[in-house]
Amino acid sequence: MANDKTSMQLISRGILSENPIFKLALSMCPAVGISTTVMNGFMLGIAVLFVQVFSSVTISLFKNKIHPRIRIPSYTLTIATWVTVIDLALAAYMPEAYAKMGIFVKLIVAFAIITMRLEMFACKESVKDSFWDGLGMGLGFLVGMMVIGLVRELLGSGTILGYDILGFKPLLFFILPSAGFFVVGLMMAFFNWIEIAYKRAKGLK
Amino acid sequence: MMMHKQLKYWTLALLFSLLPLCLQAAELVSKQSFGAENEIVLTFAAAIDKNTAKNRASYKVFEESDPDILLEVKEAVVSQNGLQVSLLFTEPLNMAKSHVVSLRGEDGKELASLLVKKPYIGYLLSILISALLVNNFVFTKYLGLCVFFGTSKRKTTAKGMGVVFTIVMVASAIMSWFFYQFILIPYNLNFLQIVVFIGLVSLTVQAVDTVLRKVNPVLFNSFGVYLVLVIANCVIIAVPLIMASNNYNIIETFMLALGAGGGFLLALYLMSSVRERLDLANIPPTFKGLPIAFIVAGQFAMAFLGFSGLQLF
Amino acid sequence: MKDILTIIMRLTLSCMLAATVMGVAYLTTIKAKKHNEHVNEQKVRYALLGYSDQKPIPGSMALHSIYRYVVSDAGNQTIGYLLPGKEGFIFVTLDLEGKIVDTKVVKVEESSLAEREERDKIVRGIAGGKDVVFADQTIVVTDNGQRVAYLLDGKFTGFKTFIGVMLALDPQFSLLGLEILEHEEDPGLGAEIEQDFFKNQFKGKTFDTLKGMDVVKEPLPDKYFQALEGNIAEADAAAILKQYLEHDIYALTGATISSRSVNNGVKGIVKKFAYRLNILDAVLAEQKIAVAF
Repeated sequence: MANDKTSMQLISRGILSENPIFKLALSMCPAVGISTTVMNGFMLGIAVLFVQVFSSVTISLFKNKIHPRIRIPSYTLTIATWVTVIDLALAAYMPEAYAKMGIFVKLIVAFAIITMRLEMFACKESVKDSFWDGLGMGLGFLVGMMVIGLVRELLGSGTILGYDILGFKPLLFFILPSAGFFVVGLMMAFFNWIEIAYKRAKGLK
Repeated sequence: MMMHKQLKYWTLALLFSLLPLCLQAAELVSKQSFGAENEIVLTFAAAIDKNTAKNRASYKVFEESDPDILLEVKEAVVSQNGLQVSLLFTEPLNMAKSHVVSLRGEDGKELASLLVKKPYIGYLLSILISALLVNNFVFTKYLGLCVFFGTSKRKTTAKGMGVVFTIVMVASAIMSWFFYQFILIPYNLNFLQIVVFIGLVSLTVQAVDTVLRKVNPVLFNSFGVYLVLVIANCVIIAVPLIMASNNYNIIETFMLALGAGGGFLLALYLMSSVRERLDLANIPPTFKGLPIAFIVAGQFAMAFLGFSGLQLF
Repeated sequence: MKDILTIIMRLTLSCMLAATVMGVAYLTTIKAKKHNEHVNEQKVRYALLGYSDQKPIPGSMALHSIYRYVVSDAGNQTIGYLLPGKEGFIFVTLDLEGKIVDTKVVKVEESSLAEREERDKIVRGIAGGKDVVFADQTIVVTDNGQRVAYLLDGKFTGFKTFIGVMLALDPQFSLLGLEILEHEEDPGLGAEIEQDFFKNQFKGKTFDTLKGMDVVKEPLPDKYFQALEGNIAEADAAAILKQYLEHDIYALTGATISSRSVNNGVKGIVKKFAYRLNILDAVLAEQKIAVAF
């Protein structure tokens, strides 16, 4: 199966039509767990982006050498290697951000989205396309995390990226841990609503 | 070296746990425990000299880690029959730490020296409760959500999934503990944690799969499907990681894994009960499916926040 | 059969490849990690003393570390202090009553004491086969040889797990500052112990006030809040802060237990330290041991 999409299409697919968080509903854990601020979302997004791109490229490079029977262990090994690398790097160069993300950086290893892209895309396509696909999916995750972070930070502590915007704290509830579920749920409903409205408008025409 | 230390530790632990059984008759003090927030209660096996028991100078009490700082005994109250002494301190005790009480006779000779601490079993249970309710992996740690939302549609699937999870979790956590204690720490390979743990989890899943297929095909037919899902789940890898960061021993690791698995089962069961009902409800089309499930999970999470800080033991 | 061989071959190769990548990553990051940890620690210390990048610490000031060990030998416990002397280090052993047992001059480089494992090994060597357990580290800050502050580390149980703090005290054991280093309290509730309006309430409390200090479940007065957060002019703020100097700590809304554990933890650390330091100072003066602080 040859890939007929351009690099731009691959990226936009990851961000919009197949957004890992809102559309595929994969890797929800960090989306709920540590999306209390934009910065947290951004940092974890970068980590995932890194792992996704490097794993996609690695698998794509070695796709002919991987025996089909040990496909899944190979994926796991690849992902685990890159997660270890980013984990060590973050712990060394950004200790503060790393402390905030806690265990979630290590848990990237179990994110379904990465394995899924390797299985569905990288093991068949060329290195270049895999790179763009990985980049798209990673960016999709990053954008999703940042949007949730934006909502929670603005409504919870009245700031964006630490800068005071509203001057007061509207609803403490939004930075409480359980609010992550509500925000993600409401945003999914919002996207559904747009989709339904769009389809209805189209149908009427 | 490490191995040796561990062995020594275990032998000592065993000896200490057996000690009260063998020496009960010979010990002067048969029972010691914390009472109210500034109280230690000692129960004697036989009545001792009242003057010694009543004299607060005959007691020396300190926290085990701070032997140079003696705690001030305000009063020693002897019970009617002379068998029980309650030591009252001027300040509240820090019960998280074990305290050493040493009792000296009038002549200054040490009659007894004992360790007062909270029972270990209570600590183990508190790890279990904490993983089960207070730090429920789904509702307060937000782990394993993909599988959580994927398999909580029917009660039967939820139960099956939860049970398989618990088994795999306990098995892999115990294996991880051995690897962590005897390979990763001694050889300073801590940075390989992620690779080793995920490898062990995959191995456990594969092993359970093979064993179940051979031993009980009926069970395999009903549970086998979930095994594949287990690998791609963060709950299962989080347990060894938490074990490593808290430096738990093997029993504590077992309790943590059991609590985590039980918590996941509980969460799945609760969620599936709600979702079975939701199927019958009239939900706005925009909220159908995942959005409403998320909102329900949010409500559960808020309810579970109420367990925060729960301390039974 | 051939299949299995190729699988094994390829798996071994990929494992080796992965190991190389991880090994290289580990070796390149380990130095930076240690360096950053060190820099971070230093920054917290200077911040507690009131210095920052804009206002660097004067050259006349020096930080001296005291390491305390519990030495036990067949049921007999003593306390060992590793002190910086005028030249080299001194290991002073005191018994539980605070009487001197032994002093030894230790010839080590200061840099070799910074790492805990290395230091433990050295101390074990000094103690001569006795069991040694590291207890804590205290930093004495001197300015032209005069003591100006103490920095203490501490850890105590919070609402959920442990809370790690660093404290700065002046020579009279009044609090100069409090910094929360690590905690796992609930975000939005107990995690607010990190905020200035909570931490700064401890600033300036004298030893006597501290001994009897409690937390109160009252709303934090707005003026006090603004002063603690540093939102108003320094002179006005000082007056307001002074007014509340002997007041108890205002508990955080919805996190009374976290607030109380910080209060009790800080109290415990300061009290124990004051007790020990007085004993140590008395011994040092009596034995005429020359130390760097």
